Amino acid sequence: MNWLRIVRAELRKLTSTKLPMAFLIVLVVIGAATAVAVAFGTDMDGSKTFISTAADQQSLMAFAGNALVIAGLFGAIAVAREYGHGTVVLTFLTTPRRTRAVVAQLAAAFVAGSVLGFAGAGVSAVSVAAGLTATDFGFMVPAADLGQVLAASTLAGGAGAVLGAGVGAFVRNTGGAVTGTILLLVILPPLAVQMVTETASWIPSTISNVASGIDNTVSAGAAIVAMLVWAVVPAAIGLAAVNRRDVV
Amino acid sequence: MEHQFDPTTEPGARSYPISIEHVTKRYGEAAAVDDLSFVATPGRVTGFLGPNGSGKSTTMKVLLGLASATGGRATIGGLTYAELPDPTGTVGASIESDAFHPGRTGRNHLRILADATDTPLERVDEVLDLVDLSAAANRRAGAYSLGMKQRLGLAAAMLCDPPVLVLDEPGNGLDPQGIRTLRNLLRARAAQGNTVFVSSHLLGEVEQLADDVVVINRGSLVTQGSLEDLQQSASLVRAASPDALRMALQAAGGVVDLGQPGTLVVRGLSLDEIGEQAFRAGIALHELTRHTDSLEDRFFAWTGDSADGEPIHTNRRNHELATNRAS
Repeated sequence: MNWLRIVRAELRKLTSTKLPMAFLIVLVVIGAATAVAVAFGTDMDGSKTFISTAADQQSLMAFAGNALVIAGLFGAIAVAREYGHGTVVLTFLTTPRRTRAVVAQLAAAFVAGSVLGFAGAGVSAVSVAAGLTATDFGFMVPAADLGQVLAASTLAGGAGAVLGAGVGAFVRNTGGAVTGTILLLVILPPLAVQMVTETASWIPSTISNVASGIDNTVSAGAAIVAMLVWAVVPAAIGLAAVNRRDVV
Repeated sequence: MEHQFDPTTEPGARSYPISIEHVTKRYGEAAAVDDLSFVATPGRVTGFLGPNGSGKSTTMKVLLGLASATGGRATIGGLTYAELPDPTGTVGASIESDAFHPGRTGRNHLRILADATDTPLERVDEVLDLVDLSAAANRRAGAYSLGMKQRLGLAAAMLCDPPVLVLDEPGNGLDPQGIRTLRNLLRARAAQGNTVFVSSHLLGEVEQLADDVVVINRGSLVTQGSLEDLQQSASLVRAASPDALRMALQAAGGVVDLGQPGTLVVRGLSLDEIGEQAFRAGIALHELTRHTDSLEDRFFAWTGDSADGEPIHTNRRNHELATNRAS
């Protein structure tokens, strides 16, 4: 069995519907809002302090946290809809060894999520730069830091999509998968921090900021590992569930 | 790498019988399939009949590895689906008529399958043409009629030109022309030595399509055999004293139903045996012929309901089952 051909089929699945376009539109809308905020927004005192330094601008364009959630939703919807529409039958007929099929699905989700994450960070950076043209401030973020923002968002997008795909495979229902992904990435982490303060360093928003270079709560390497763990654990649970259950 | 056709698995070059061996599938306490055994033979179209909820789809899903059997084994050419070295090159399956992403075109649906099986993309257009779907290939599958979805499913099943076809209710939603095309296509596949296993509740369609039938009800086998034999497993007797003859034939182990006034429909006894029993009882026979039931009549008898809703006597069904198995 050729892995490449299975992943290629999964990628064609992801790109042969309007789902990716819908998410790209979301990224553009977020980018437009960012540009407007940069151009016309002010701090409480009416100043533009929030864009006055390179660190401020880098913080504005850091997209990894958003990429994690957006790509997470993408992965969750893409995989859950496979079950909803019954196309997963075709998947397991062409690749009866389910572990292979699911790993290929996760790999395709990672690739698509990475593209979404990179595009999100790119749109965000362009939006900040565009917004700045309407202010007295220039674009101050060094190329290396911009690269880190792009790389962090790319990785976060891939990780988020894998996480969402795992939730989708486990839940098999689009509404449930979306809810589960939001619970995991947005709602439960702050609650966990309230119960156990030490978890604050490892919640998605913190590790995304660390990876983007705008937080140093933990090391960048540790943040990347944590991000991958956030992705792999739901994916492994989803894989185990798929192997255990009947397909339809 | 292109899809590699092994000469030993080319259609007609190697036979792949479908074998269901004591398969049981339970959901909790309920048995969807209960100790089911039968064989679908290469070179023949095997119709898989049963009322809704009788376990046909579950059996097919077990066969294709989509559902795990609680007990027993379902094989294709001696191997389970997952054990086949080239599953999609061996078995073409269409299990759910609406298993398409509604926003994806028919062509892209097949291209995904072609990608996964390393089949040349040109083959996609070939099978679209084969099922007369080329004109709608670039339309979203969500806009397809049920018949078009069936044809797309059939195209997917035949994409890799497999020697085994497993189709769940492929005639649903097809117009008469579509049913004729399906029938010709499946008969041609069987004529090439391929195994064609088709579930259906369209009895008229099965009557024209199948060589063999397997009938299940409530997850259990009711009867199996060649359609011709099963339809002709009764004799029509017209006698001067039908009531006396009825008792004589029942005493000899026959299962006797009343037919038209003065006639009996007898199962479980050959024409010779009926004639001999009548002779011994001193009853004159006015007619003794083979009786061919319609498949619909037989289906209702096998599955325990008459056409007018009256249950068929259990002993009669058991006797028929024993008779059919013996034959």
